[in-house]
Amino acid sequence: VTGEHCHPTDGCITCGDEAVALAVLAVDEERGLALCSDGEGRHTTVEIALVAPVRCGEALLVHAGTAIAHAPGEAVA
Amino acid sequence: VKYVDEFRDPQLGRALAAEVLSLVEPDRHYKLMEVCGGHTHSIYKFGIDDLLPENVELVHGPGCPVCVIPMGRVDDGIAIAHQPGVIFTCFGDMLRIPGSDGSLLEAKAAGADVRMVYSPLDALRIAKQNPDRDVVFFAIGFETTAPSTALTLLRARAEGVRNFFCMCNHVTIVPPLRALLDSPDLRLDGFIGPGHVSTVVGARPFEFIPADYGKPLVVAGFEPLDVLQAVQMILRQLAEGRCEVENQYTRVVPYEGNTRALQVMAEVFALRPHFEWRGLGFISQSALRLSDAFADFDAELRYSVPGVRVADPKACQCGEVLKGVIKPFECKVFGTACTPERPIGTCMVSPEGACAAYYNYGRFARERTLV
Repeated sequence: VTGEHCHPTDGCITCGDEAVALAVLAVDEERGLALCSDGEGRHTTVEIALVAPVRCGEALLVHAGTAIAHAPGEAVA
Repeated sequence: VKYVDEFRDPQLGRALAAEVLSLVEPDRHYKLMEVCGGHTHSIYKFGIDDLLPENVELVHGPGCPVCVIPMGRVDDGIAIAHQPGVIFTCFGDMLRIPGSDGSLLEAKAAGADVRMVYSPLDALRIAKQNPDRDVVFFAIGFETTAPSTALTLLRARAEGVRNFFCMCNHVTIVPPLRALLDSPDLRLDGFIGPGHVSTVVGARPFEFIPADYGKPLVVAGFEPLDVLQAVQMILRQLAEGRCEVENQYTRVVPYEGNTRALQVMAEVFALRPHFEWRGLGFISQSALRLSDAFADFDAELRYSVPGVRVADPKACQCGEVLKGVIKPFECKVFGTACTPERPIGTCMVSPEGACAAYYNYGRFARERTLV
C-alpha cells in the first residue's frame, strides 16, 4: 500500500499524525496553493490558507496536503 | 531552510544523555509517556531509549490515529465502500486496519472501489473527476489532520461539489489524556507532548496536566535530539520540584497554536457526545462530527451504516499497549501471529504504532531474547 511518498517503515506524509517540513518553490495566492519540495526534490502542491502569506524559499510544516505552520527552524527531510 | 544533520548530532546526543543521567535519582523509577505515535516511531528508529538510564522508562500513549480506530468504525467504512457507485478514499495505513470481517484492502480485492489518497484534497479532486459517482473520504487523525479535512469541505462547498462526502473519525487529544490520567492502571511521572498536534492547538490545552494532576509535560519535536531534550527537560522539572507545561519545539509550535486552523475546525466540525477508542472504551467529547451546516457532506447521514460495537480479537492486547500498561513484546501474539505483514491489532499496522515500531527496528529480536 505504499506510494510515491511512502516508505515501508517510515510511512508516508499522511499515514500518521506527523507532519513534514517542505520548502516553498512557488506560490499561487489566488488559489491558495503553493508548489513545495522535500529534501529529495520531490514536488507536491500544498494548501496554504492556514499559514498565508507564504514566501518562496521558506519552510512550511505540511500534513495531509495542508500547511499547518511556518517552520523557519525546521529541517527539510 | 535547514537540513536534518544538526538535529541528529551524535556529540550533542551524548552530552544530553549525560545530562539526563545527572538528573535522575538512582533509587527512583521514572515513567514518562510519549503521547504521539510519531515520537514512538522516532524513539525506536533512533534507539533513543538505549541512551537513557535503566530507571527512565518510556511508555507509549494513544497518539497513533489509526491505532485507536475501533473495529466497528472500520466495518462501517467497509459497508459504505460496498455501496453501488461509491468511490471510497482513505489514507494508506487505514486500508490495512482489520475490521470484524476483513480490511478495506480486502474489500477492494472483493470489488469495492477503494482508493488510497495522500490528502482529502486528492479525494475532492477524484469527486470532481467523477461527477456521476459519490466519493467518500474516510477522515481520521487528531488535530493535525482535522484542519485539512475542514479546508477541503469548505472548498467543496465553495466550488459547489455535490458528490463529495466525509465519514468523520477525527479525534481530539486532550480527552484521552484525561482518561489515562484518571485510570488506576497507570502511574506516570510526566509526558512528552505531541509536537504537530500542538502546532494547531498550541501548548495551552495541556495546562490541566500540571494543574490538576501534578505532572509535567514538554511539547517536543520529532528528531532524536528533540525527544532526548524533552526527556531532559521533564527530568529537570522533577529534579527542581517544578511542574509545568514547557515547549521544547518552539521553532514550530506557538504557545497559542494556529488560530486560523482552530477557526476552520470550529466552523466545519462539532463535538460528538462520546466516541469509542480502541482499548480505551467510550470517551466523552473526544471526537468530531460534521457540523449541522455541513450535514449535506456527511457520509453517515447519506448512507445507512451498521454502527455496531465490535469487540477486539481476544488475543489482541492493543488496549493495554495503547494505555502504556504493557510493552508491545509482552503481548501474547506480538511477532508470532501478529506481524506488520499480517496484523491482528492496529498497533502493528501503522509505522507510528508501538508494535510496528518495535518490530521494524529490531526490538523484536532483542526483547524476545530478554524474555
